[in-house]
Amino acid sequence: MRGKDVRLEDVVMRFGDFTAVQKTSLKINAGEFFSVLGPSGCGKTTILRMVSGFIEPTEGSVFIGEDNMRGLGPARRPTALIFQNLALFPLMSNWENVAFGLEARGIDRKTRRNRAFELLALVGLQGHEEKTPAELSGGQKQRVAIARALAVEPAVLLLDEPLSALDLKLRQYMRAELKEIQRKTGVTFIFITHDQGEALTMSDRIAVMKAGVVEQVDTVDNIYANPKTPFVATFVGENNVLQGKVAQADKEYAVVETSQGPLRGLNQDGLSAGETAMLFVRPERTVLVNGVIPDNSFEAHFERRDLEGAYVNLFFKTDAGPFIVHEANRGRHGDLAGAAKVGFNAGDAIVMRPGEVDNE
Amino acid sequence: MNELIRSYGKGLTAVFVTLTAFWLLILIILPQAFMLEHSLWIIDRDDQLGMKIDRAYSDLGLMEYDLNSKEGDEKTALQEEVDSLKATIAELEAQETDPPTVYGLQNYTKMSSLHFTIFVKSIVYALMVTVLALIVCYPIAFTIAKLATPQRAALLLLGLIIPYAINELLRVYAWLMILDYQGVVNSFLAWLGLVSFENKSWVPFLEYSGSVFVALIYAYVLFMIFPIYNTVDTLDKNQLEASRDLGASTFRTHWRVVIPHAKPGIAVGCIMTFMLSVGSYSVPQIMTRGKSGDWFSQLIYRQFFESQNWNVGAAYSFSLVLVCLGFILIMMKVFKVGIRDIAK
Ligand SMILES: Nc1ncnc2c1ncn2[C@@H]1O[C@H](COP(=O)(O)OP(=O)(O)OP(=O)(O)O)[C@@H](O)[C@H]1O
Ligand SMILES: [Mg+2]
Repeated sequence: MRGKDVRLEDVVMRFGDFTAVQKTSLKINAGEFFSVLGPSGCGKTTILRMVSGFIEPTEGSVFIGEDNMRGLGPARRPTALIFQNLALFPLMSNWENVAFGLEARGIDRKTRRNRAFELLALVGLQGHEEKTPAELSGGQKQRVAIARALAVEPAVLLLDEPLSALDLKLRQYMRAELKEIQRKTGVTFIFITHDQGEALTMSDRIAVMKAGVVEQVDTVDNIYANPKTPFVATFVGENNVLQGKVAQADKEYAVVETSQGPLRGLNQDGLSAGETAMLFVRPERTVLVNGVIPDNSFEAHFERRDLEGAYVNLFFKTDAGPFIVHEANRGRHGDLAGAAKVGFNAGDAIVMRPGEVDNE
Repeated sequence: MNELIRSYGKGLTAVFVTLTAFWLLILIILPQAFMLEHSLWIIDRDDQLGMKIDRAYSDLGLMEYDLNSKEGDEKTALQEEVDSLKATIAELEAQETDPPTVYGLQNYTKMSSLHFTIFVKSIVYALMVTVLALIVCYPIAFTIAKLATPQRAALLLLGLIIPYAINELLRVYAWLMILDYQGVVNSFLAWLGLVSFENKSWVPFLEYSGSVFVALIYAYVLFMIFPIYNTVDTLDKNQLEASRDLGASTFRTHWRVVIPHAKPGIAVGCIMTFMLSVGSYSVPQIMTRGKSGDWFSQLIYRQFFESQNWNVGAAYSFSLVLVCLGFILIMMKVFKVGIRDIAK
């Protein structure tokens, strides 16, 4: 395994008096596929640039393996960066692009040419070695960029939204490809994206950022199942939000008095009676009440239905805002009209201290 | 053409085409054709012509005097001789007022060795100016385009342009004042105690070709900086970072990434600077004040306005045009750029 671990220790990045990254500590394990997820402008690229050495953190240190990276420029770090726009050299052939890092290390032309051809073969580009990047498709360029970065044998590969320029089909294909390359090489991947679906499908662990703050670092399952903040709950996947005051609470559960009546959920933040709270429940954990009555249920006004094939999304309007029910398509939602009863179990809902939610 | 007609209609297209043709004709073809034509003939003036005419007139006088003493056949014969002599005189006189022109390459082939030396020297100097200007301007252009913040870049560009609002002559005179015997530099050296004005131990900068170089570079930096700046400016900053990230030194980044990208700009800058310096008249004239040999442009000036020999002047000018064309072709070969890139 070639990968090395990356540690950010109390790192702060300020540009003038604007703080792009608030005090952050992170440990990314060797050989891990780690994603940094967050909306535009939250400081993802800034974190990447601190690791790659293009900028030095205002405070704190970056370690790669055992070594403190302070004072080392990008050329001297065991990292390679794949740029958002790839930044291939348009006037060089593809193999020269891939061999550029070796050229910079003074390796002779024949050796680096052979190595470049090998790497291009690894990413499935045999026969395109002598072409220039302009003669390739988007996905092929992507692969050249990957091969170019791998050529310098980095311990850490940094990817700044490399798939955002591709269309959906190709993006899905390249995701699998990237995972495969990561598995084969054992290099640590730090992958930046603002697409939560992408982060969930590819990563081992995810850091969710908002406005310069890392809100949660966790495995993909935990990020989805146990979001720690309202922002994470709403930014990663969908969530219904119901706001209110805690009516009663114990260690495990809290009852929130909402406009839809009292609703029970897991008391994650240990709130006590009287505090304001937000209750989150994922659309796929809700049901149209039909016979069995769940822990929580209330009447809501039916608005419309979106068919997703195997699933349907049912949109309701409540005094607390929109409420979505995501159900398997059993062909019985066609005649829904006016009011309907919806509900969910207390174990599927999370009660949190209120905070900013993502509303795109 | 059809494209044009489709987008603008027949009337406007005709206007466009006429204007373009007019522009080509008046600005490019006509002057060059005129130069070329002039350079290809000489006036074949016979130095003996005046004497020949004088002699013919005295012969004529004698004959006319004889005519009175002759009778009969003899008189008619002499009369005929007189008439033919008169005709010859008329012909000679016509030649004197309107000498015949002879076409050929004489004007090119008869360049004296001194003039040819100056010709070659001027080309070499202009090449040196071009190379020096490139060395000076490339870093400046790169800095403005890629390293400076946008506000500072705008300020720097403005700073570069402002001096160009002043007449070229005044800019050259400024350098004259700086490099003169008792100019700014020498005054500074005198202040340091290195030279003294009393015993005239100043450094005679103006007698060196170097001073012409300095003034030429100064006069034409913009023509080098702007094309390079324009091309470097379009280089994606990520390319520089990618190169750095892959471990390339600054030199390699420039050699492999920036310069190949800036090639068209460098070619244009070199072409402009070369053509302007090889043809510059005022700068060498002012800077040397005739103290260190002529430049070819000064030679041409003399042919036109001092020797009144327009044909040789035209031939010299046209030689310069040919050199410039040759230079353009060489640059296009060396930098592997096409006319299209240069026109950009
Ligand atoms: N060199 C800089 N000087 C000043 N401010 C900067 C600089 N680089 C980034 N910023 C600011 O820091 C913040 C975070 O920028 P960053 O590029 O890290 O965002 P991002 O999360 O990568 O966003 P995106 O998804 O749009 O790429 C932004 O508000 C940006 O304006
Ligand atoms: Mg970014």
